[in-house]
Amino acid sequence: MTKTTSEIVARCEEIYEDLNFTTAREWKAAKEGRKVIGYLPVYIPRELIHAGGMLPLGIMGGGDNLEVIHGDAYYQSYICRIPRSTVELGVSGRMDFVDGMLFPSICDVIRNLSGMWKMLFPDTYSKYFDVPQTYKDEIGGTFYIGEMRELLHDLERIAGRKISDEDIRNSIAVYNENRRLVNELYELRAKVPWQAPASEAYLVIRAGLVLPVEEHSALLREYIDAAKAEERPIKDNSKVVVTGMFCEQPPLNLIKSLELSGCYVVDDDFMLVSRWLIGDVPTDGDPVYNLSQAFLHHSMSTAAKYEPDQEEKGQFLVRSVKETGAEGVIFASTSFCDPALLDRPMLQNVLKAADIPFIAFKYAENSGQMQPIREQAGTFVDSIKLWSAA
Amino acid sequence: MTLTAGIDVGTGAVKVAVFRIENGKEEWLSRCTLRIRQRDPMQLSREAFDQALEDAGVKESDLDYVATTGEGEAIPFHTGHFYSMTSHARGARFLDPKTVAILDCGALHGRAMITDARGKVTNYKMTSQCASGSGQFLENIARYLGIAQDEIGDLSMQADDPEEVSSICAVLAETDVINMVSRGITSPNILKGIHLSMASRLARLLKSIGVKSDLIMMTGGLALDEGLCEAMREQLAKMKGVDAKVINNPDSIYAGAIGAALWGAFRFDKLAASGTLLKAS
Repeated sequence: MTKTTSEIVARCEEIYEDLNFTTAREWKAAKEGRKVIGYLPVYIPRELIHAGGMLPLGIMGGGDNLEVIHGDAYYQSYICRIPRSTVELGVSGRMDFVDGMLFPSICDVIRNLSGMWKMLFPDTYSKYFDVPQTYKDEIGGTFYIGEMRELLHDLERIAGRKISDEDIRNSIAVYNENRRLVNELYELRAKVPWQAPASEAYLVIRAGLVLPVEEHSALLREYIDAAKAEERPIKDNSKVVVTGMFCEQPPLNLIKSLELSGCYVVDDDFMLVSRWLIGDVPTDGDPVYNLSQAFLHHSMSTAAKYEPDQEEKGQFLVRSVKETGAEGVIFASTSFCDPALLDRPMLQNVLKAADIPFIAFKYAENSGQMQPIREQAGTFVDSIKLWSAA
Repeated sequence: MTLTAGIDVGTGAVKVAVFRIENGKEEWLSRCTLRIRQRDPMQLSREAFDQALEDAGVKESDLDYVATTGEGEAIPFHTGHFYSMTSHARGARFLDPKTVAILDCGALHGRAMITDARGKVTNYKMTSQCASGSGQFLENIARYLGIAQDEIGDLSMQADDPEEVSSICAVLAETDVINMVSRGITSPNILKGIHLSMASRLARLLKSIGVKSDLIMMTGGLALDEGLCEAMREQLAKMKGVDAKVINNPDSIYAGAIGAALWGAFRFDKLAASGTLLKAS
């Protein structure tokens, strides 16, 4: 029987709120010898984990339902919350079924977390996964291939078996399909945002951080078809692009508040792991080389990614606004988020030059007071609706 | 001809205004106010909306745009939502086109706005979360003193020796009032003290957004409290560099709903001109 969007979203919300990761635990318990590898934002080549028959598990912090007690002892109170709530998830035993943890290079805080994890959980594999900052084949490419080979070697040890090139090629094909569906959902939302609201799309994509990829692809297909089939009222909202939320995730209420304030969120940088690589990764030839090429030359741009070409800096936002028909940009970042906050003035200058309106605010994964954000986003939308030339 | 409705969901009441705009002429067809009194604001909005439509002799399907403001974002049948600053500023200018600054005093917040020549809000500030500057606080005090709400303004104007009340915290202010009652201070002097305390906060808000010698329109539920208006005049007169005039209007309480309805019409025309017309939903 065909499910409605609300039924699908209700299931995704259940997964989102479950801080014991029951779905992943059940997957692991269903068959002897199964392994789960956790990872933090922003990007990990999940294909390599999948190729070893293991489950990649996205850990996006504890959100607004987790009380951080122990985690606060490990980090300064003024920085972002995701490292503290991740420590809390770990020390409270909520991640005791996870066999390995990957900490991609996003900032110093997450790098420090990888070291802390090693000390806190010496029996769990943990790796600081360094992705290249230089996008030249002979430098970043060579380095990244080496980094992936090293990870593969470690994953083979955890999986207890060899991971062949054919295994990786098959996994690339499975993730290509998943990325196509995620992109299809983003395109649908940009075109008819009232049919696939950002808060729903977020939950549906977020479920993919916990579910096996094949199951998630089926869920995406189901949601897209249901969203297209349902008639929902159109509101006189303004289309906006949200940027800066690539690491610590906003509480669901924040996304809902933006929508209630009159925003149709038509592009964002939430959970970029789901769509970091642009287009299909080739499924022939050397799969590790193909993944490195995709990372270097066909990957998303954000404030978290180094852009050596000053002319190109921030143009990804201008393109996003043009392609989605957005009328403004909302910068949102967490406290002391180096990647987002250091780039923000440069990105804002690019938007000013392109005559694109923007606003900025701060949030945390446990932000509870939405009134100031609603006021700010709402007045921004009013100014676009009433005073823009269009 | 454009037919629109504005629904202002406040903390204390739901206000609805229905407008017909033809050849630039804005005709206010009907209005309805329902006090919330712990009832469901969404259901009340529907009732007030239906009542206003009936009074205007207009069917819901005739409306081109249903605009909400205040806490009305979640009303399912709205076409678009405008923020309180935007809608109160527009409503105040409808009530008196010479208005430059607006002071929206509702049950929960005090909000000062200043507009440019086009009516665009160029700056605004709100009172902080403490309720000591709000209508809800004044309502509580009136209840403690056994006074009906509509008596507050007149009694305050009769004060001969107003007592100072804390303007920082509602709890402290309420304690002050209890002490005053036990000391035998008269109700007019207590009320005037509260009005002066509220007005002092609101006057600072107005000054901080750049109000100098402008016409200030009071809107919101407290706009018709003459005691507060008078206290505002007194406090502004004490401020250096400020020579502003405070006015109110019998329909000030509808400013948000009026503004929403008029902006809705503006937006409808703008969308029609750009070929991206929405249907009121």
